[in-house]
Amino acid sequence: MIHEEHAHHVTPRRTLINVFGGLIVLTIVTVMTSRIELGPLNVPLALTIACAKAGLVVWIFMALKWDNRVNGIVFALGVLFLAVFLSFTLMDTLYRGDLSNVERSTVSDMEREEAARSGGDTGEGNADAASEH
Amino acid sequence: MDQQFDASKMGMWLFLITEILLFSGMFVAYAVYRSWHPEAFQAVSGALDWRLGGINTLVLLASSFTVALSIHHVQNDNRRALVINLLLTIAFAGVFMFIKYLEYSGKFAHGVFPGANYAPHGEHYGHYADIPYAAQFFSIYFVMTGIHGVHVLVGMGIFAWIVVRALRGDFSSAYYTPVELTGLYWHLVDIIWIFLFPLLYLI
Repeated sequence: MIHEEHAHHVTPRRTLINVFGGLIVLTIVTVMTSRIELGPLNVPLALTIACAKAGLVVWIFMALKWDNRVNGIVFALGVLFLAVFLSFTLMDTLYRGDLSNVERSTVSDMEREEAARSGGDTGEGNADAASEH
Repeated sequence: MDQQFDASKMGMWLFLITEILLFSGMFVAYAVYRSWHPEAFQAVSGALDWRLGGINTLVLLASSFTVALSIHHVQNDNRRALVINLLLTIAFAGVFMFIKYLEYSGKFAHGVFPGANYAPHGEHYGHYADIPYAAQFFSIYFVMTGIHGVHVLVGMGIFAWIVVRALRGDFSSAYYTPVELTGLYWHLVDIIWIFLFPLLYLI
């Protein structure tokens, strides 16, 4: 019986060290940029850097770069469904009640502002949270 | 034999995407509550010490590095280096859990518990009682880091078993599948934390 023994890819130590160094640097960048006030950019920036770090781990440490394509497809499917899960859920929760809403802001935002205005002084609470949302 | 190795790896990747989706449920909960109450989440994130979180991030990244090294060494039939790096991985994981223990005890000591027992008091925590929906942030924090912590502990246990097998001489460049699969699992645990850290501690 012929069996195909192709050698497994051995990632060079230098590559692993470089990637580890890159991950450390990106972590430091994440922390430093989070301390700067960038307004609405802070969150997407932090998430982008996190994706870059995760990408390095997946591509090199988990060796997806040198692996069978099917594993990459499996991973991509997982990420795809995560994206679907997140976006469809937010599409619901961010826009509740908006089908008939003619105001500029979403119903959710208006409720939030309302609660912040009135609930803030009475210390409206944590106990109500379960019933409200 | 190679076909078995490939099949095992694919099986592990399939399992890993179920893990991604497991944590997704919690990440989505975080996203929904954060989008509903952004001020509360921002006000409360200062309760988590970013230095401890940062150290934990570096610790887990180091553990992923030692795992990748252990694979490298077993592929080169270096049993000694394999075992040393596996033990380092377990050690780093232990440091991570110890820091989480410090963080959790700090929270509990100030009455910050998940769920119904939430009653923040004391010097740095008293004002959290007045922020609506702060309790939700803490609940999400405890559940997400808690389930992640369970995954770290399970990983430590599995690695301990892999070390035993490695010392017995079970692994070589011809066969190291269990090391490979456990390594893949561990990298995912690291990736989860890579996302948890900025979302909970930084922004």
